[in-house]
Amino acid sequence: MRVEEIELAVPPAQAPQGIVVRRRWQRSLLSFLMVFGPGLIVMEADNDAGAVSTYVQAGGQYGLHLLWILLLLLPITYFVQEMVARLGIATGKGHAAMIYERFGKWWGHFSLFDLLLVNFLTLITEFAAISLALSALGVSPYIAVPVSAAGLITMVVTGSYLRWERTVIVLCLVDLTWFAMAYVVHPRWTAVAYSSFVPHMPPGRVTGDLLFLIVAIVGTTIAPWQLFFQQSCVAEKRLRFADLKWARLGTLIGATFTVLVAAAMMIVGDFAFRRGIHFEDPAQMAKALLPFAGPFVRNGILLLMVNAAVLGTTAISLASAWAYGEVRGWPHSLHKKIWEAPGFYAVYIGSVAAAAGIVLIPRMPLQLVILSVQVFAGLILPSAIIFLQLLLNDHTLLGDRWVNRPWNNWINWTIIALLFALSLLLAAQVMLPQLFS
Amino acid sequence: MATISNRFEPEFYRVVHPLQDAPEAKCSSEGLGHIAMPPPVRISLTVLRGYLLLMTAMLLYHVLDLAGVLHHSR
Repeated sequence: MRVEEIELAVPPAQAPQGIVVRRRWQRSLLSFLMVFGPGLIVMEADNDAGAVSTYVQAGGQYGLHLLWILLLLLPITYFVQEMVARLGIATGKGHAAMIYERFGKWWGHFSLFDLLLVNFLTLITEFAAISLALSALGVSPYIAVPVSAAGLITMVVTGSYLRWERTVIVLCLVDLTWFAMAYVVHPRWTAVAYSSFVPHMPPGRVTGDLLFLIVAIVGTTIAPWQLFFQQSCVAEKRLRFADLKWARLGTLIGATFTVLVAAAMMIVGDFAFRRGIHFEDPAQMAKALLPFAGPFVRNGILLLMVNAAVLGTTAISLASAWAYGEVRGWPHSLHKKIWEAPGFYAVYIGSVAAAAGIVLIPRMPLQLVILSVQVFAGLILPSAIIFLQLLLNDHTLLGDRWVNRPWNNWINWTIIALLFALSLLLAAQVMLPQLFS
Repeated sequence: MATISNRFEPEFYRVVHPLQDAPEAKCSSEGLGHIAMPPPVRISLTVLRGYLLLMTAMLLYHVLDLAGVLHHSR
């Protein structure tokens, strides 16, 4: 393969570019670091404000009893995103472009509409979280929200993908603070281990609220925008065939890190549960925890909420902008200056600005919007994964090398069946709530 | 027993960042048209369409119900 030839040993004087190393392990490490980015970002950005809310709510209402769901979701989210990375590397194009080209205009526009709608609703929740968290820290929403929106726009308009990627990776690593907070609240480690590895339901009947929360956890851990984002991101970074193994490793690291951070959030929520603290959102929980856990936990939760929202906003807005640009055939790249890809940047800036503006409208039922978005995302996810599955079985496009192996297909159809089952359970709850009351 | 070992190690490795590398030929959909649509696939997509519409309607109902909008209008 051509890229393997590039990476073969060559005397440095003849080579035009790159970094020369002497050891095989140095080559592997450097190759990995150069490829690393999209896998971590797509996973950790999914721990956005809605996820923080959902996970601490799960901990706050049911203690540690739902931790095992996160462990179950780890391989699922990895398998799905591995297929996305493979498709992106094989085709060099985004997910929206592939659906549009292979399934026609109707499905292309349908998928795009779904994506843009869910993404925009999600953006509202991100800015709502910024508003809530910074209000709790004494900053007026009328300052916090516009300043955050301006910062988010500035992140992408520099015309450099790598600058954006490095900034976002640093923000992802800020989430390591969740581990410190989980440690500070002195969790019951035996209960954590038991609840992580032994699937069980909370004591009492399976209620509609519990089911709604489980669907929300699934919806927030595997979100439709992730499929579109990672494939476009891989195409944007121009990953090569030989990079696939490193992209897979990066995705696995990202998935593991994300699930561990989510577990830490649930553990912090469990701390509130053990003290009988009831809360509507993480900001309320943070304030209520001050007498029990001190200012580190209180301020940490609030600032990490903002960080989560910023991560989610930039990734989700980019997913929308890339997808829209691909379908419309516009230039769509962070490598381009703003005047070279005006439509692409207009979608990003427009999404951010409109969502920020809506949040400033008084008396929005924000917690309801947050939970509803997670559930809506969970409902449309099966369709997004079906397109992924069909594309990964498209021998005409991908040839035999990149298509799913039979075991890939078995796993993916199982995942799709699981997601459909959860969606149908939710439908049953909506239509026949007496079954769960 | 005598053995012959191949201990050849290249002296240098050049690692090129993906963004600095020459573009490589990808799997292209150029000229392929739409994906093959045998009946099972077509039926699956039709069922999916119905499922999505139904789910969206039910979710909307649920959200409005939770928000109390339906109770107010009764």
